[in-house]
Amino acid sequence: MACLGSTRLCVRVQEKLCQLGQSPQVRRKTFSCDRFKFGPLPSSRIILHEGKIHQNVSNPSTSNTGPSVTWHPCSRPEIAATARTFSTLRTHQPGSLPDYKVDPYRLLEDDLKDVYVDIRKQLRLNTHQEELYEIATYYFDGQGKSLRPMVGILMGRAMNYHMYKDRSAILPSQREVAMIAEMIHSASLIHDDVIDQSDFRRGKPSANVLWSHKKVTMAGDFILAIASMMIAKLKNDDVTLVLSQVVTDLVQGEFMQLGSKETENERFAHYLTKTYRKTASLIANTLKAVAMLTCADDDKLPELAFQYGRNVGLAFQLVDDLLDFVSSSEAMGKPAAADLKLGLATAPVLFACEKFPELNPMIMRRFQEKGDVEKAFELVHKSQGLEQTQFLARQHCQEAMRIANLLRQSPFQKALIVVADLVLNRIK
Amino acid sequence: MHLSKLPLQFIHKSLLPLGGVCANRNQCQTRKISTGNVNLAKVAQYQKPDWNRAVTEAEKIVGYPTSFLSLRWLLSDEIANVALHLRKLVGSNHPLLKTGKSLLYNGKNNMQAWGLIVLLVSKAAGHAPDLPDLEQDKAAGVLHSQRALAEVTEMIRTSHLAHKGLVNLQGDETKEDTSDMMFGNKIALLMGDYLLGNCCAELGVLRNQELVSLMSSAVRDLAEAEFVGPRDKQNNPLPARPLPYIEYKPLNDVGLEPLLVSEALGNAQAEWTLRHVLSAGSLLGKSCQGTLKLAGHSYEVQEQGYLFGKHLALAWQACLDREPFAPGSTEPFSLVCAPVMFHLQHDPSFYEEIEKGEIDVHDVDYDKIRKEVLNGPGLDLTQKLQREHSQAALDVLNQLPPSDARTALGNIIAAIRDI
Repeated sequence: MACLGSTRLCVRVQEKLCQLGQSPQVRRKTFSCDRFKFGPLPSSRIILHEGKIHQNVSNPSTSNTGPSVTWHPCSRPEIAATARTFSTLRTHQPGSLPDYKVDPYRLLEDDLKDVYVDIRKQLRLNTHQEELYEIATYYFDGQGKSLRPMVGILMGRAMNYHMYKDRSAILPSQREVAMIAEMIHSASLIHDDVIDQSDFRRGKPSANVLWSHKKVTMAGDFILAIASMMIAKLKNDDVTLVLSQVVTDLVQGEFMQLGSKETENERFAHYLTKTYRKTASLIANTLKAVAMLTCADDDKLPELAFQYGRNVGLAFQLVDDLLDFVSSSEAMGKPAAADLKLGLATAPVLFACEKFPELNPMIMRRFQEKGDVEKAFELVHKSQGLEQTQFLARQHCQEAMRIANLLRQSPFQKALIVVADLVLNRIK
Repeated sequence: MHLSKLPLQFIHKSLLPLGGVCANRNQCQTRKISTGNVNLAKVAQYQKPDWNRAVTEAEKIVGYPTSFLSLRWLLSDEIANVALHLRKLVGSNHPLLKTGKSLLYNGKNNMQAWGLIVLLVSKAAGHAPDLPDLEQDKAAGVLHSQRALAEVTEMIRTSHLAHKGLVNLQGDETKEDTSDMMFGNKIALLMGDYLLGNCCAELGVLRNQELVSLMSSAVRDLAEAEFVGPRDKQNNPLPARPLPYIEYKPLNDVGLEPLLVSEALGNAQAEWTLRHVLSAGSLLGKSCQGTLKLAGHSYEVQEQGYLFGKHLALAWQACLDREPFAPGSTEPFSLVCAPVMFHLQHDPSFYEEIEKGEIDVHDVDYDKIRKEVLNGPGLDLTQKLQREHSQAALDVLNQLPPSDARTALGNIIAAIRDI
């Protein structure tokens, strides 16, 4: 039942997102993945959707319905109706969709199932103090999307298959890298929480609410130190260099978030660089490291992996910034419009201020005056900001898919394409 | 008044990086001239040992003043950014200002000398003959990688100080206070993270995975140190309830394993040692060990390096712990300083007074404690502790061939011993 509920929610949000679709082809892509909710899920979800596929195939003509529909969040009735039409008359163009879609989380079930257990084990081995262990493992409860370990392992397998065909099993070192990525991510989450004083994350109280800020900060340092020890254990100089770049990028991204730029052009470049450093760098460099472990002598494949990760990472964050405006706090596990409240101007706002220049002063004062957040929220919804953000995210996902298509065909390579799709169409 | 000047100085320094570099370079050159004079360090021996002199003489031996080691990171955009933000904190009493102050202040309490010690150990121990010339800093007699490691040591130390200086904001402070403090926390956290990130990058470049492991375990130990024993609301440490006297067993601390905390709590010497091995000895020890690793010494020699650094840090700590109890001193002291802990062991009923600080260590009657401690065996025991550690460090040092660097290290130890 719970699963059904969430699927329905999923479809509803996608109805909203579907209005963003500008070309029929994109619209199709929007729907092609609604079988998966992001993150590990019980097995029932595949069966749920079998019927729909048949439905889709029988309705090939609707793909041309109307040109682009203007995004409007206040769900005007006529648009809502259109959206509904889209969602029921989904199309399946012959030959353009793979015959079956792989669920990456199912595909990697065995590889992924103990990732968190093993991370906790590593942390356990490195401290005898209960409180430190408790704080350090707080976010390793398996409730997150575990996007990073999943993509890491997936890329590892796709690369292994690309190089050695049948011997595509994940190398222990590659799996370690996936774990390290998740640990670096968590360490940065913990520190972010202290910086932003957030109350909720992943639907539970964030660590800084439960423990003293000093201890939480130290726990973050602790996780980073253990991750760093694990990196060293891989005994690969180049992998260490690639992964240490991530840590530097993360902090620099955080610093960039402190300041904003005056002119619009600079501001957008600033935002994109910040996004790369804060989010995409971790994914991109993790994948690069994983690919380096597949084939030490080749630099082309690691570069491909890097570019795939960079695009997926950028899209992921763009969608994240978009969801901050459209998704309910329930679905996200954190309050809505959180970015605005923190004074951050993300892509939707930056796009919106092309149409509504009155946003500029608000951006400069970081939405600190009374009513700024509400006003900006409203203006973003009135503008094309969300649509444009979605469009940009889609471009990155398409680039990621293009790169994934350069690899030898395998379920893992297919799943890489699905991941790009998932990232674009996720609801949480 | 005093406080508000400091960050400006800090800002000034980081906003005018170019001027700073030039000044530094000039200084370097004048220093280099004096490097040729090997006797300088020896001269110091005949005078009354003095901390500042010992450090200044030692700095000449390794090429340039180590307090400028961190200049490279002060030059970055990010830190200039921090400096700008620090200005906003002037007037608030966020502890980050104190951290900023200790970075610049050249007293004996500052830990800038850590990088210096790593460099001196590097020079005193020398390196394997087959290392390529390119990797050596001939003038200073150390490897470039060792210099980088010395810098990493200081960055880790500073980063930890910044993170330790966070204010816990979960109480019922008024809104006004909180926003200033929140901002200070943000900057302190980012600054610490920035330094840690830089450490990762610098260590990565050295392409020595054992060293990465070693230094990461030192970062882990620093984090662990903040969890040892009871804590007040601001995470200030309180001693654990003293147990009936148990014999002191030395810690098994060589290697990468985490320390067993529970066994030490309640036993004055064991608890004190554990706390400060985690919060200081581990970093200095592992840095000294690491620098010998870089120089290609055998594992046995590296281990001696660890012992040297650890004992030096502990001797140092014991000496700092004694200071507030010097005649006429009214300096504040930590409740886990050696004299207090020894006194607790001596008179467990005294723990009642300590317990008053459960929520805030400042609720304790410090004058009363000072008086009690002065009349007990605590200070003598602390001095004994300090002597033991100084001697242990000297013993390691004496295994090395005589050199000006060795003499300088000896002077530093002597200065600690006689404070």
